Amino acid sequence: MITLKGVTKVFQTKERSFTALNNINLTIEKGEYVAIVGKSGSGKSTLLNMITGIDHPSEGIIRLNNTDIGQMNESELAAWRGRNIGIVFQFFQLIPTLTILENILLAMELVNTIPKAERMNRANDLLLSVSIPEQANKMPASLSGGEQQRAAIARSLANDPAILVADEPTGNLDSKTAESIHSIFRSLAKAGKTVLVVTHEKDSTSRYDRTITLLDGEIVSQESEIGAL
Amino acid sequence: MNLQFLKAARDLSSNPKKTLLVVFALILGIWGAGTVQVSYVLLMHDLQANYQRTVPAQVVFTSNDFDKLNLEQFVGKPEIEAAEFRDFSLHRIEVRPDVWIPLWLYGVENFNAMKLARVFREEGNKVPLRNSILIERDGKLVSNIATASIPRVRIGNTIVRIPVSGICFDPAQAPATQDAFIYAYTDKQSYRNITGMAVNHRLIVRLRNVHSMADVQKRSKALVDEFRTMGIELSSVEIPRFNEHPHQWQLNTLLFLIGSIGFLAMIMGAVLVSQLVKSIMAGQIRQMGILKAIGASRFQLFRIYVLMLLVIGALAGLIAIPASLLSGWAFAYFVAGKLNFNIITTTLPLSVYITLILASLLMPALLSVSILLKGTGTSVREALSDYGISQTTVGREFPFLKTLHLSERMMLAIRNSQRNMSRLTVTVFAMAFGVAIFSTGFNVRQSLWELLTGYKEEMRYDVQVVLNKAISKDEALEPLGSLENVKQVETWIGGRGEIQSKILSTDKGAGIVALPRNTSLLKLTICNGRWLLPSNDFEVVLNQQAMELYNNPPLGSLLPLHIRDKTINARVVGMTRQFERAKIYADKEQYDALLNHDHLINTISFVAKNNDYQKVIALKKSIEKAIAPSGLDIAYVMSQAERVKIIYDHLNIILSVLILLSFLVLLVSAVGMASATGINIWERTREIGVMRAIGATPNFIYALFVNEGMITCSISIVLGLLLSYPLSRLAALFFGKLMLGNDAELTYAFSTSGFFITLAVTLVFGWIASRIPAKSAISMSTHAALSYE
Repeated sequence: MITLKGVTKVFQTKERSFTALNNINLTIEKGEYVAIVGKSGSGKSTLLNMITGIDHPSEGIIRLNNTDIGQMNESELAAWRGRNIGIVFQFFQLIPTLTILENILLAMELVNTIPKAERMNRANDLLLSVSIPEQANKMPASLSGGEQQRAAIARSLANDPAILVADEPTGNLDSKTAESIHSIFRSLAKAGKTVLVVTHEKDSTSRYDRTITLLDGEIVSQESEIGAL
Repeated sequence: MNLQFLKAARDLSSNPKKTLLVVFALILGIWGAGTVQVSYVLLMHDLQANYQRTVPAQVVFTSNDFDKLNLEQFVGKPEIEAAEFRDFSLHRIEVRPDVWIPLWLYGVENFNAMKLARVFREEGNKVPLRNSILIERDGKLVSNIATASIPRVRIGNTIVRIPVSGICFDPAQAPATQDAFIYAYTDKQSYRNITGMAVNHRLIVRLRNVHSMADVQKRSKALVDEFRTMGIELSSVEIPRFNEHPHQWQLNTLLFLIGSIGFLAMIMGAVLVSQLVKSIMAGQIRQMGILKAIGASRFQLFRIYVLMLLVIGALAGLIAIPASLLSGWAFAYFVAGKLNFNIITTTLPLSVYITLILASLLMPALLSVSILLKGTGTSVREALSDYGISQTTVGREFPFLKTLHLSERMMLAIRNSQRNMSRLTVTVFAMAFGVAIFSTGFNVRQSLWELLTGYKEEMRYDVQVVLNKAISKDEALEPLGSLENVKQVETWIGGRGEIQSKILSTDKGAGIVALPRNTSLLKLTICNGRWLLPSNDFEVVLNQQAMELYNNPPLGSLLPLHIRDKTINARVVGMTRQFERAKIYADKEQYDALLNHDHLINTISFVAKNNDYQKVIALKKSIEKAIAPSGLDIAYVMSQAERVKIIYDHLNIILSVLILLSFLVLLVSAVGMASATGINIWERTREIGVMRAIGATPNFIYALFVNEGMITCSISIVLGLLLSYPLSRLAALFFGKLMLGNDAELTYAFSTSGFFITLAVTLVFGWIASRIPAKSAISMSTHAALSYE
């Protein structure tokens, strides 16, 4: 379960300060498939960064499965993130000098929760689950955008995290490929993983269990499939 | 393979240009420093080892009364380590048809049992055949003489042919190539037969438990007293520098030179490597963010990149270490050849290898600790949004530039060059330092050249004849009366150079030069006090080496001088700066009155009417011809040009190495600048794409980067040339002390040609250093540049 209480994030520049998130209170249950939507600059990526521990709130508490991530230092947070959260970026962010398979194996090697003997099989299984087993030994640059995003998803699942977050994962993909990525997320949520997706595709919110809309750093609405909460 | 290692290896191979540049820079730094280290270790050890291998004498006594000495008893004394007779006399040898140079002939007691001042067989006989000689090997370099040749030798007033039965090696002697002497050795009986001189007149001694020149002087004084009680009157006591090869100063200068410049090259190489590694790390910041996002701890990140740097270090080490070993040995052999000693070390100390390996492996990592700490400490968010050079950093506006009506491109280049101020500062300072060192090299060279020119100007005579024995002026001039092209002749007793010091010197070995005080043939530079004037006192002017020998007597003080069994109190009135052995100058009139009642002379100086080189050489030859049938016992006949050449040869090796090494420093700094420009371009690849997309032509981009490079280069040149002034003064001071003695200064000189060469070379280097990366900037397509990460 993900809980945010009174989370505020203020960015300070020389000239001015800017409140990216303002007093966010939010709870996301295990196995939920949640979309965070909003216009550019509404604070959705900042919110995702707060949840993944990539950035720290100026105020407030963030708990993921009862762990207060605000209490951890950078290294603890990195290790914790590796075990508990899988991140999918808009620009895939695969390591360009490693093959797809090696990208997944590296994630396992860094976190070291999956036994060594199982890693290769698991990596191949993950590639199979995202339907690109034949791309295992290719370099990221030789794959299409959709294939790279599938590879990124496979990598995000390398250490079997309970939570998967994706920052505009289909923003760079064509609609057909985007649909297939969403179906992967949906199946992962069905399998019990909490999936959070930041998107600006307001019109396709129906595919999520819940859609949280941000405007100027505040939650303006939370809609589920069964209606407004 | 470990994936972290694999990533490190692939990152390096994915950008081979950058990697190769870092490896190259590292090779340059390690090779430079390694060469210095290897040659330093070899030379430092081997000159001394060669010298000590000869078991050099610490004191040399000469007397006509040594027949009163029981040598066996003398050697048995507890304070005497070894002593033997080693007679010595000066002659002349024909090295090429009609070219004669001084021959230093030694009479050795027993070649098979030399306990002191040992010489080593090189080829031919170890013990010369009766009435033949062994030639010191360096003599082969200044003559056509070889084993089995029979050169003509002038002994006194007769010319004889003496067979050469072998070549030997005497590493305790100054190199014949620099002094234009030949050293020869023969046994005692042959010495007597060849020279017709009595033997056992010169005793060489090595003392026990002496640790300094002062110890030797003290013990020698006691021995002099002891000899006196035995009725042995000494004609001279010569104490060479304690445990020091005659050319140790040259080696010290060279070692200092290569040590300091090698150190500078390493520092600059290190700056270069750190800049390049910084650029590689800068390109990895986003990847660090990704790795952190997927669970990498800071330590893991640190490990990956340290691994990467270790690979770079290992690659560089694989080339640089063998290269530095090779060049270090080669340089040591080169210097050893010039100074006539052998490289006897066969295995370098383990510490040299360890230092080189550690330097190769750890240098890139150590130089990158700060950037690694910074990079790995960057938050994931910052790292993921890193796109290289800050888009918000713009250069300062300089209002005066607007008045120059510079082109937009030039204004942009000026602003761009300031976008990474820390890099600009490092690049400018590194380059400026290179310029300063290069320019300093020329200025010091100029100082030395002016010293030489000064020397030439001091010597107003064209040819000098030096006799082994002082004779009357009439007798000396008699065979030389009908020479052509002679404007002026002047006679002295004593004279310049080393040989004269052996003919007439004080008991401490300072050569005496007694000449007309108003002579027009010698105009010395007086750096303290004044030249000789008419006086009731016996006035003397000392050169700085003599000053040092006599513990720097104050000007105006009375200095007791022991010359030929007599002691005279001389008034020290001046000090002169010379590249010369210890010399004391006195007025011949006063000297004759005190010590030379018969007005004998041994030096004849000629001034030519026409002093063109060829005419002077012709005069020298005619003098040689005139004296050949005479009875004159000649030590040498030398033209001023030849003497200057001898001095130049002493300095030449230093001058050459100085310029070569300073050029290397400039080269390293130019590579540094090229890399800095390269980094600027890599970091701004996307910006280049944007500029191309909005219409900038490749020519515009190319010129922009060349302009940026040339701006950096110009600032460096100005700064470097300013910096070269204090550096040159400091270097002149230091080299002066090293070469001319503690009390002498090499005058600072500005080399105009050096200035223009520095300017031209630096501008060319700067242009090349800007052009290469600028060319690569325009080789990328607009699309590739825009999508560059």
